[in-house]
Amino acid sequence: MDKVSLAEDANRDPFAAAAVEAVLDGYQTLPGVRDEMMGADGRPRAHWVPFLTALAELGPQEVRRRFGAADRYLRDSGVFYRVYDDKGGGERPWALSHVPLLLDKADWDSLAAGLVERAQLLESLLADLYGPARLVEQGALPAAAVAGSPEFLRPMVGTVPRGGRFLRFYAADVGRGPDGRWWVLSDRTQAPSGVGYALENRLAMSRALPDISRTMRMDRLAGFFQGFRTSLLKLDRTGEGRVGLMTPGALNETYFEHALLARYMGFSLVEGEDLAVRGDALYVRTVAGLKRVDVVLRRLDADFADPLELNARSRLGVPGLAHVARIGGVALANALGSGLVEAPALMAFLPRLAIKLLGRPLALPHVGTWWCGQGAERAQVMEHLDELVVASAFGTPVPGVGRRGSVLGADLTPQERRQLSAAMARRGADLVGQDVARISTMPVWTGDKLTPRPFTLRVFLAATEEGWTVMPGGFCRISERLDARAFSIQRGDRSADVWVLADREVPATTLLPSPENVRVRRSSGTLPSRSADNLFWLGRYVERAEATLRLVRALVGRLAETEPASSPLVLRLITLLSSWGAMPRDFAGASPGRYAIAALTRHDLPGGLPQVVKSARAAASVIRDRFSPDAWRALVDLEACLNTPVPTAPTEADAHERADAALRIIAAFSGLASENMNRLTGWRFLELGRRIERGMALLRFARTFAEQGAPRGALDVLLQLADSQITYRSRYVVIEARGPVLDLVLLDPDNPRSLAFQVERIAAHLRVLPGRDPDEPPPRSERIIARMRADLTAATAESFDIEDFDALEADLAQLSDEIAAHYFIQGPAADVAWPGQG
Amino acid sequence: MLYDIRQTTTYLYGGQVRVARQVLRMTPVDRPHHQHVLSHSLSTDPAASEMEHGIDFFGNAIAWLTLDTPHDRLEISTHSRVEVKATPLPDVQASPMVDEVREAALASTDLGPNSPVHGLYASRSVPLDPAITDWTAESCAPDRPILAAAWEVMERIHTEFAYEPGATDVTTLPHEAFLAKRGVCQDFAHVMIAGLRGLGLSARYVSGYLRTVPPAGQERLAGSDATHAWAEVWCGEDLGWIGLDPTNAIAVGNDHIILAIGRDYADVAPVDGVIVASGEHLLAVGVDVVPVERPYAVAPAS
Repeated sequence: MDKVSLAEDANRDPFAAAAVEAVLDGYQTLPGVRDEMMGADGRPRAHWVPFLTALAELGPQEVRRRFGAADRYLRDSGVFYRVYDDKGGGERPWALSHVPLLLDKADWDSLAAGLVERAQLLESLLADLYGPARLVEQGALPAAAVAGSPEFLRPMVGTVPRGGRFLRFYAADVGRGPDGRWWVLSDRTQAPSGVGYALENRLAMSRALPDISRTMRMDRLAGFFQGFRTSLLKLDRTGEGRVGLMTPGALNETYFEHALLARYMGFSLVEGEDLAVRGDALYVRTVAGLKRVDVVLRRLDADFADPLELNARSRLGVPGLAHVARIGGVALANALGSGLVEAPALMAFLPRLAIKLLGRPLALPHVGTWWCGQGAERAQVMEHLDELVVASAFGTPVPGVGRRGSVLGADLTPQERRQLSAAMARRGADLVGQDVARISTMPVWTGDKLTPRPFTLRVFLAATEEGWTVMPGGFCRISERLDARAFSIQRGDRSADVWVLADREVPATTLLPSPENVRVRRSSGTLPSRSADNLFWLGRYVERAEATLRLVRALVGRLAETEPASSPLVLRLITLLSSWGAMPRDFAGASPGRYAIAALTRHDLPGGLPQVVKSARAAASVIRDRFSPDAWRALVDLEACLNTPVPTAPTEADAHERADAALRIIAAFSGLASENMNRLTGWRFLELGRRIERGMALLRFARTFAEQGAPRGALDVLLQLADSQITYRSRYVVIEARGPVLDLVLLDPDNPRSLAFQVERIAAHLRVLPGRDPDEPPPRSERIIARMRADLTAATAESFDIEDFDALEADLAQLSDEIAAHYFIQGPAADVAWPGQG
Repeated sequence: MLYDIRQTTTYLYGGQVRVARQVLRMTPVDRPHHQHVLSHSLSTDPAASEMEHGIDFFGNAIAWLTLDTPHDRLEISTHSRVEVKATPLPDVQASPMVDEVREAALASTDLGPNSPVHGLYASRSVPLDPAITDWTAESCAPDRPILAAAWEVMERIHTEFAYEPGATDVTTLPHEAFLAKRGVCQDFAHVMIAGLRGLGLSARYVSGYLRTVPPAGQERLAGSDATHAWAEVWCGEDLGWIGLDPTNAIAVGNDHIILAIGRDYADVAPVDGVIVASGEHLLAVGVDVVPVERPYAVAPAS
């Protein structure tokens, strides 16, 4: 559609045209900078018109509502980006710019072809540098331009990666220059991030604009992931289809993405300590013992991957991984050392290397780069300093080029310029000069109109059997500032979805394999020990939160019944809460109501609800690939519920209300966990955690409220805490009596809240856990539970005393330890130190 | 000079170690122009369940070791016999100029283990430090012969720094030792390397041994009761790498036995390993470097 047909459109529907005009009103492009939406003639480019028309038809109010829906989607699915410089290691909510970048097919195809060529070049370059290094020997590339990179991993020199490729996943940041051409700004070959966020942006946009995104005929993303997944599975020689996605862990800024990709592609999310090298192969520690892993999608930087041969101080890697990779015992995507070709220093030589390696110049240009390790180039850069950016040559920190590793020559003071000049003379090899790339702008929605903002686009490529494939879309990062110089884009600004507009109907693809390839599988792989550990503790924390809430509710309930604050029952409830660390020690004499509020709201109490729920969410956050998004949302809701500010003078009624609300969310979580989780090993560990914690809480309740000589009304509190009042009343018309109450709460195997019921469930789960050797005597955990069952069967309610409660609680604690010892990863790995050299 | 070298390294752990994986860089290899290894052996107690030998990027002997029998004590013993014939130090004044050497290293077309390019950049244990660089620059005028300049840096370290075992440890960074003006051989080598690299020159780290017992009438050299360390400076294509020992302010000669070469300590650490255990561990190292007076005799076959 060109200008004329837009006019025709307007003739057909003058209202629509006027609405589009309104949307574009005040859109002021930057001088000397290209805009993606607006042509040089001041009219929108043809491929933007349908989108703008659709937006205009919705009207500002509806657009706001739609965009709000996208934000809600992102918030609810917990998309976040961890911010390192935040002291608390905070998570930043994902900021989506709601107007997608629209690219027409022809434009996209030439960009994609250029990137495929570039990927091929980088692969050949890696193969040479880790192999014969002929390019260096022939003088096409100075050895010093290679050796300066911390990603030139010397232990990997002389090896060919399993499967014959270094790169299997590659990304490039590109920007469009004023001339309309795409320019490569940087290469990502180590472990490119952003592809999961791109996926979430797409999902959010299809949530916000389902009608528009359906009619716009854009290329879909799923096929790309499917191809990549298939190519990785082809490398697996074990036939078990196990691919590990190796993550540095939950503290990593893009951990969310790691979990998302693992779930989306059906890979096992593993950390270094989940893996172990034995002989010439890599294994994952599971609850059923060590299981072979033959393919790893690596999201951990190579330097941290192996403390034996790479960074000895790394706690994130696997001892021996470099050795196993070297001998082909595992296929890594990308291979260790692939990060080498990210170095800006190498970019200076790519044009020359392309001719040597590909036999032709690169079709897609990159930002002009000069490595200052060479005298002539160094002089050039100093001479044209005003027009250039000076940056670190190898991505390492270099004094004098700022915290972000690059500085604009024109911004330097005379003194800084002298310092740079001196640094150049001594250590020019650490620096490159680069052209200042002017990048194009795209529209962002600010309130009720569109404004141009500069952006860079990250494009993702995957190696498949058929060669490199390009994800038809990308991850678009938008600068908050109007400075259109590429280097000014910062991390953590807003991002946008990218729509590659197809010229024909787009077939729907999903990640599901085509029907003829689906084999019936009842198990979804083996549960890694660490996941089991976290599921177990998630169960325990959630149950602990529930028990604490019940105590708080009982406390405020008593007070509401005008029980005096000094009554023995109130004191017992407070004592119990403080023995759990849920009570502050610093306000003795305060009213019990304030104690209740404190247990619900204060973050500094180790057993207070905010802390317990935080622990639950922390355990859950590292196993997000294991349970349903809805259950995760329930946890997020629970935390939100407890973190809602309280009124300045909270009353007991406020506390009651909040405890009720929190208990309802926990009930929802339990329901979602038990209904939506397959009855697999993971679910059993979650259950084991809950049952053990519930049993322990019951015993503590009983110890406090059913001891001989407990005050009047204590048994009623016990029934309330054990959620067994209704059952009791339906069974006994009489007033609470110790024997019947204890029988119901501890011994009745049909009461789902009783200790006996918990013990039965624990026994049932333990029996079917994997990794049991029928020829060996049963593990100690089973012997403990067998003894508990026998004890409970033989016991009569009246005979229970404090020693019995304590002994049973100790049994449960020991059981928990035994499960941990048998199934979870043991002991922190320690360094072997050396005293230093003489 | 023929040497008989024995090293015993003992780890005492606070508890039982169930699995240990380690990399050892503890056996010398032939170094043209310096030493020839006649024999060497490496053994552990308890015995390793897996042991594999290889050569790393820089040409050092490396052993990958797995122990999967529970143990609370590990002893690593090495024994080697090495003949040292050091190349005499060339005329320091005749070496090429500092500036010339810097450009020659940058222009190198060699990416192999002995290339100067590996010694040019900051490395794990040797970050560059402006203070050390400026201090080193005082000796390294651009038109001064490289070896004369490096020799002076070595001597200044020897006179200005106190040799003080225990003042630093294996993780001490060069700028800390530089500020304190004290340390041990590892610190001195690191400071020297950091300063030269700061000026764009190429320098690397060598771990090795010194003869324990001095020749009659001579003083015992510092650093001889443990593994020793010194620096090598690249002096242009013709001279190549020249070893200088700042702890003793001498050129590397017939008293030095080379164990491993790398960019810094991290590349040549005698042991890198991870154990799964709780509790502290204690380490003792014993080194004995004894000149063999008589020609090497082969024991009769028994």
